[in-house]
Amino acid sequence: MAYSDAIEALADPTRRRVFEKLRKGPSSVAALASGLPVSRPAVSQHLRVLRDAGLVSDQAEGTRRIYQVEPEGLLGLREYLDSFWRGALDDYASHVRKKGKGG
Amino acid sequence: MNATVYEPVRQSVEVPVGQVEAFDVFTQETGSWWPLRSHSIAGERAVDVFFELHPGGRIYEVDSEGSQHDWGRVVECDPPKRIVISWYPGHPESEATEVEVVFQDVGDGTKVELEHRNWERLGEKADMYRGSYDQGWVGVLSLFAEKARR
Repeated sequence: MAYSDAIEALADPTRRRVFEKLRKGPSSVAALASGLPVSRPAVSQHLRVLRDAGLVSDQAEGTRRIYQVEPEGLLGLREYLDSFWRGALDDYASHVRKKGKGG
Repeated sequence: MNATVYEPVRQSVEVPVGQVEAFDVFTQETGSWWPLRSHSIAGERAVDVFFELHPGGRIYEVDSEGSQHDWGRVVECDPPKRIVISWYPGHPESEATEVEVVFQDVGDGTKVELEHRNWERLGEKADMYRGSYDQGWVGVLSLFAEKARR
């Protein structure tokens, strides 16, 4: 899976809230929607994007669909730690260089 | 889970200053360069970062309301050469990974090598984590992505 899909999917604040709620445990659309200021169809739409990004999976339980976090999808986030530290070190180096010029 | 997931994250950078200055800027002027908006717990509200430079010392950010948010704890400290940090921003300390930063004299500057490791500690708790090992990072990274897309 393209990892950027996961980041893209989580870049939306509402979707992030849906995802964070799911991290507390598997849940139905109705249960997810009840704690959020968005409609059930909107939650379903967000879940679809999260599922397409490999971050959640769903399965039928009776007449409901139960969604859960997909751990494999999140493992890709580790790659982003590389860019996390890359970004931090680059900022550090440019700060040191700027200081050098100023002093 | 495959093993490569637990390989340490390694990054390095070279700066044109001596070891002492490189170490000082990294640990004592952190707030002036650290990308706080994208790399912090309080995000937009984060204003500074502090390192207490002794074993057991805290590393924490301070937000605009004065609240402190722990990032980790100093495990080993050997200025200006090396610092090892137990790293757990957004986690309880029991779920810490480890970050080591080595400052190496390379003649006309200092090479700063960073290693973020002990991911397997999180792996041992894989069931509990079920993907939440990045807690504290997801929000940060998402903000980063939002910013990057603008």
